[in-house]
Amino acid sequence: MTAVVLDGIVLGLAFGLLGVGMTLVYGLGGVLNLAYGQMVVLAAIVVMLVMEDDVATFLAALAGVLAVAGVAVLLDLTLMRAVYREHGEERTLLGLLLTLGVAFVIAGLLTWRYPSGALYIFIGGDPVSILGVPMARGSIWASVIALLVAAVLLLFFGLTTFGRGVRSIIQDETGARLVGINPSFVRTVIFALSGALAGIVAITQSMSGPLTVNAGFELTTFALIVTVVGGLGSVAGAFLAGVLLGVVNTLSAHYIGQYITTIILLGAAALTILIRPRGLLGR
Amino acid sequence: MARTRSIGWAVLPIVVVAAILAILPSIWFGDSPYTTSLAVQALVFAAYGVGFNLIFGSTNQLFLCVGALAGIGGYGAVILTDETSLPMGAGIVVGTAFAALVGGLLSWISVRRSLGIIFTGIVTLVFSLAFANLLLGQREYTGSETGLVVTAAADRLADDHVGGYYLFAALLVVFLLVFRALQLSHVGWAFRALRDDEVAAELAGVDVARYRIYAATLGSAMIGLTGALLAYSAGFISPATYSFDRVDVRVLVLVAFGGLGTLLGPVIGAGVFAILDEQLTTSLELREVLYGVFVLVIFLGFRRGVVATVVSLYDRLMAGRRRKPILESPGD
Repeated sequence: MTAVVLDGIVLGLAFGLLGVGMTLVYGLGGVLNLAYGQMVVLAAIVVMLVMEDDVATFLAALAGVLAVAGVAVLLDLTLMRAVYREHGEERTLLGLLLTLGVAFVIAGLLTWRYPSGALYIFIGGDPVSILGVPMARGSIWASVIALLVAAVLLLFFGLTTFGRGVRSIIQDETGARLVGINPSFVRTVIFALSGALAGIVAITQSMSGPLTVNAGFELTTFALIVTVVGGLGSVAGAFLAGVLLGVVNTLSAHYIGQYITTIILLGAAALTILIRPRGLLGR
Repeated sequence: MARTRSIGWAVLPIVVVAAILAILPSIWFGDSPYTTSLAVQALVFAAYGVGFNLIFGSTNQLFLCVGALAGIGGYGAVILTDETSLPMGAGIVVGTAFAALVGGLLSWISVRRSLGIIFTGIVTLVFSLAFANLLLGQREYTGSETGLVVTAAADRLADDHVGGYYLFAALLVVFLLVFRALQLSHVGWAFRALRDDEVAAELAGVDVARYRIYAATLGSAMIGLTGALLAYSAGFISPATYSFDRVDVRVLVLVAFGGLGTLLGPVIGAGVFAILDEQLTTSLELREVLYGVFVLVIFLGFRRGVVATVVSLYDRLMAGRRRKPILESPGD
């Protein structure tokens, strides 16, 4: 039982890290980035390619994170500009459809060029015992990174001027504009941040098992579930929802079965929309 | 007199489509099974497209579960007839009714909770994914990934390719007639009103909620019926037949290409994409890239659909030509 719950927390932190990049972009501009999973896969492939040249793992990981942050900036400056010209539901719908298109382009190109591409960052060493349960070092590293990212993000949005500016746009775009905040610049920065987070997700996911080239759609699905349950635009909500869903996932997979588990997670997202559309910690 | 003439004009495009569909086998693909199967696929997607167009194009409900609804029709029909030895007709009726019920229920939920386009999209997407998992999990009924051989399919339906072609061509023409009849009736007025401005429509006395549920129920019935007929005519179904990435993405792209809410949009979209598929048999992955690029180009450049854009461009050109002599007359 302890082992199952601990596994759930490890998985949940990974879920939270996955959801936070999507939730920030949605909260800020109303764009639900359906290409998010593909951005994670893109980072994984970049890291894989750099590592093939015998570059140190840390530097390769950094290259992957920066590359996808760059791609995110590029997307923001081109496609997303057209999206942000619209308002309300039109904007959300156009954002949804365009990022779906981007997802297909990235997925198609990557599976065409690297049909068997996969990233696996092997972390050696014996399992570490936590509360009497042996845990693989890869999972512990991944969880530590997720917790660090959560802490940094919460401090950033809570304490820095720029972070407060971001939160003011999430609350009221027109009001933020009136007090001198430039929403379009802030959106570019946050889109880049979400790209970097996708890169970090690629690293942590591949520490506990290979991340394959066709994992994008599934990653997007889980990011979407976490985003919806946690509350659109809430960092703490994403991690809270991630851990909750992670524990539910491992408990149900252990005691009921895997297919039902996915249905339970999807049902949690649907129920959240129906009962509490703003999510656990949404505004 | 004027009224009958206007109805004649309204039905004319459908008559033209029916005539083209009727002569297409003899002038183009003859009895080639490969080309016929491509044409059948195009007809199936055009039929899905009409149903989706009724739901999304007419009443703004983003149903990202076309594949799942078709799968409910298909799997519902096949499981019923295979388990109970009821005739094929019963399977089709039950599968269609089941899809209509589920679609109506999804619409009722989204209307009651006033979800808006985006949350309706997420809820139906989540429903699609849950349905796909259900198909994989219920191995004893659905055969999981390996699929299900349809034992109750009448031989003439499963083996006769040209027969299948005419079946789906007839189905498409009926769907188009239903769609046009709705457009011409008071329902069509309500659809246009609620699509242009929901609040104004509500204030003008249009029962927005009711018309949305009607549209979703009827559209889902069309999609479910198509899915059930597809199951019997193909003789084999698997989760891939009705999967989100194979059905929904394509339906969305081809309806948007042809023009959302227009009568012939789905037909033109399905035709163009069938030709594209025939030309691009090289690589499945590159085809995916091309779909993505298509989505981007369509939604960035041709928001009202390629057909409408081309028509308005043509109108502008013609108007320009007609105006020319007047503008140039001082110089003569």
